[in-house]
This record gives sequence, structure tokens and C-alpha cells, in this order.
Amino acid sequence: MRNLNILVVDDDPVTRKLIEKKLAPAGFSITLAENGRRALEHMGRELFDVVITDLMMPGEPDGIGVLKAARKKSGYTEVLLLTGHASVDTAVEAMKAGAADYLQKPVNFHELMIRLDRIAEYKNLSKTALDLREAMDVTECAAAETIQELELRAAVLQDVLHKIGETLRQTDLAPDQRLAMVESHLSAAFTEVS
Amino acid sequence: MKKITPEEIRQLSRYIYDVSGIALDQSKAYLFETRLGPLVEAHGLADYAELCRKARTGPGKQLENEIVDAISTNETLFFRDNGPFELLRNKILPDLIDARSARASKILPVSLRIWSAACSTGQEVYSVAIVLKELLQQDLNRYRIKLLGTDISDAAIAQASRGTYGKFEIERGLPRDKLVKYFRPAGAGWKIKDDLRAMATFRKLNLMLPFGALGKFDIVFCRNVAIYFTPQDRKKLFERLAGVLAPDGYLIIGATESLTGVCPRFTPRRHLRSIYYQLNTAPKNELRKSIAHRTGRRVSLTA
Repeated sequence: MRNLNILVVDDDPVTRKLIEKKLAPAGFSITLAENGRRALEHMGRELFDVVITDLMMPGEPDGIGVLKAARKKSGYTEVLLLTGHASVDTAVEAMKAGAADYLQKPVNFHELMIRLDRIAEYKNLSKTALDLREAMDVTECAAAETIQELELRAAVLQDVLHKIGETLRQTDLAPDQRLAMVESHLSAAFTEVS
Repeated sequence: MKKITPEEIRQLSRYIYDVSGIALDQSKAYLFETRLGPLVEAHGLADYAELCRKARTGPGKQLENEIVDAISTNETLFFRDNGPFELLRNKILPDLIDARSARASKILPVSLRIWSAACSTGQEVYSVAIVLKELLQQDLNRYRIKLLGTDISDAAIAQASRGTYGKFEIERGLPRDKLVKYFRPAGAGWKIKDDLRAMATFRKLNLMLPFGALGKFDIVFCRNVAIYFTPQDRKKLFERLAGVLAPDGYLIIGATESLTGVCPRFTPRRHLRSIYYQLNTAPKNELRKSIAHRTGRRVSLTA
């Protein structure tokens, strides 16, 4: 179920490589960017399910800039922030700006995997919910049409049964005449329902 | 999320109808936006009109497949509605096996072909496989039973073919005892066991296109898919399904569907509380004759 497309943004090559080495074998598709500018270029070209970005990066945009760009570009992209100890307050600010979560460096990969699985699960569930809603809408419409059609047919059949009953009670008519009338009722009903 | 215009809906619904038969109208703006919006972004396109243009003119079928995957609804669960599977176990399979055994030679084993015409991610096919396994048990190998699952979505077929399901998919409809018996843990989810997987083949199929080449089937499941088509296409689909059903074959449709007034070639039949359809053995002419015979008169049924 781990088919997330992930962009990793960090100016530290060791962190970048380490994240790639841990996540790629787990089934995630990984793109690396060494700064905010590169990250924005990648985000312009493709849609990422998750952007994992370092908060403190030299140059513009920094982690907050990447977060804001990702949030602005798409409602589908979730952002995870990586912070040093000193920047926890900033991380809290970043959460307010729309980050899904933050992790302290050095990255605990077990923790990161749990966060990513949670995002994957959320995405799966929202797709399931959407499919369920659409299936329910379509089924309800189609079922309403079906019921209407069957109701009409039931009414026609009820009507013909009633007429046949009436005919049979007309004891003043000859049996042949009654039979002819019954046949004509049946014939009319067949025409109506087919 | 990118907003879609009424004109874009018109273009895209025309396109989606052309490639899949799925009928969508202006009331489904939210559906286009939530399902195709990510595609517009992923391909760096300006808007939905460009998505439609690219899909129509672009080389290859890549974008078409992505659109069909996104727009088709994969709502399914194990043992959905339950009734059809009880029907299969208690009526259809015993009857068919009896009928086929009487005809089978000593050399050729009894063969049954079962088709799930819109199998989505495979839950229906594997539910049927489980019923077969439970009913026939070790005798299963004495029969030649082929299950075919088809769906319009590549992504759905790929998952069906893998036979892997996440926790939420498994929790929908699959009793615990069957889970443990017929699935094995795989990663964060579960995978259907090999002997059940081996009974099934999956392939992509657009039900709007000819499928006569698939051959004849003894049982066809066509549940909750025709509801996505126009009434005219629904009629045509069931007419064509009549063409691939064995003369004594069984058609099972969705619990909220009915063929009354849709396809006169099928007769509804009832077993306990379940409805199934079979090809007419007595066409209207026969009915006319039988009334004429009983009443001793010529009957003019215009139908």
C-alpha cells in the first residue's frame, strides 16, 4: 500500500541520501532536492504526495517557503518538516501554516515510517470514501429508476387482473364473449409492459 | 483544488464516455475535480480542457488509462450482498455440476467457466473462489474451473491480480475464519493464497467493446456496473451478455438492479430470497401457443 511519491528537500547530502536509502526499499518513490529552489522546480513538474523538507536551509526559499509553496500549489501534498532542536518553536509555527507533522533531527526512521504510513492510510481512506459516496449516489439513482419501472408494471398487472375479475363476474355474457374480453385485456397489458 | 467549467465537463464527459461508456453529467463537477484535479496537477497542465486535449491527441494510452483509473469507481467488498454467494453455494453450483456431470465423458473433467464482468480489485472473484473451495473441497481438482475477472481500470486489475488487500479492504465483508484460512499476511496487509489465486485470470476489458471472443460462460456476474451506463448502453450490454451465456447458464446482477423492461432475453428466477436470470426457454411465441392451446383458441398477443 506504500505507493507515495515523495520529495525530500535538505541541504545536507548525508541526510538526503540516508532518507533515500531507507525509504526507497520500503516501496516509496523518492525524488531528492538540495535546496528550496530545486524543490520548487520539481514541484512545478510533478505532483508529490509528500514533501519532507528541512526547516533551516540556506538560500531562498527555506523550509517554510517550501511548505508554503507546496500548500499553495496543491491540496493533495502533505508536508513533513525536519527540525534541529533549536527550531521547535518555528516548527510549531510551521504546523499552524499547514504542515502535517514535524520530526526532530537526527531522523528516527521508525517514527518517519509511521508518519508516512499514516499519510498513505489517510489517502487510501479518502479515495475509498469518495468511491463509496459515488457508488451510493449512482446506485440510489439507478435503484429509483428500477423501482419506478417495476411500480408501473405492477400497476398495469393489477389493473389487468382487476379487469379480468370484472369480466369473469359478468355472468350475463356468453363464455365465448368473456374469453374474448379477457384476451383483449391481456393483450393490452402485454403491449403496455413491453 | 482547480475548478472545472461547464464546458470542460462537457468535453471531458464526452471523452470519458467514448473511452469507457461511463456516463457523467454536469451534476458531477465535484467528481471531476476530486478525481481528475490531481491528474491536471501531476502532468503540470493548465486546466481540464488541456487534460482532455492531451488525452485525445497524445501518443499512447498512458493518459487515457490514468483518466479511466481515476474516474472509475472501485467500490467493492468481499461477499458483497451475500445473497448471490449463498445462491451460488446452495443452488447454482450444485445444479450446474449435476447437469455437467451427466454430460461429461470419462476422459474430460467437468468444466465450468465463471466471469466477473466488472471485478474491480478482485474481491468478487476471490469470494467466488472461496465458495468453490468450501463447496468442493478436495474434489476441486477433479473439475476444470476457470474464473475470469475483467475491469476497465488497469490499476484495479493490477491489484486484483496481485491479490493483496489492506486492513480496511479485508475488514469489509471477510469473516475472520475465512481470512485466516484463505489469506496469508503480506507486508502491512494480506495476500490471497496461491491455490485460490491460481483459479483466476484477470484482464482489462471495456464492456462497451465486443467480448464475444471470450467464449461461453456458465455463470456471469455483472453486478453494479451497468448502473454507470446510459439506459441504451445498459440494454445493449445485457443483450450481448445473453450472447456469451451458456443455454443453461446463470446471470447475476446487482441487488438493486432489474432486467425487467431492460432485456427480454432473460427470465428472472427465484431461489429462496435471491433472484438470478436465465435465458428464455419459452419465447413469446411459445407463450402465445401455450395460451392458445389451453383456451383452444387463437390468441392475438401483440407483444
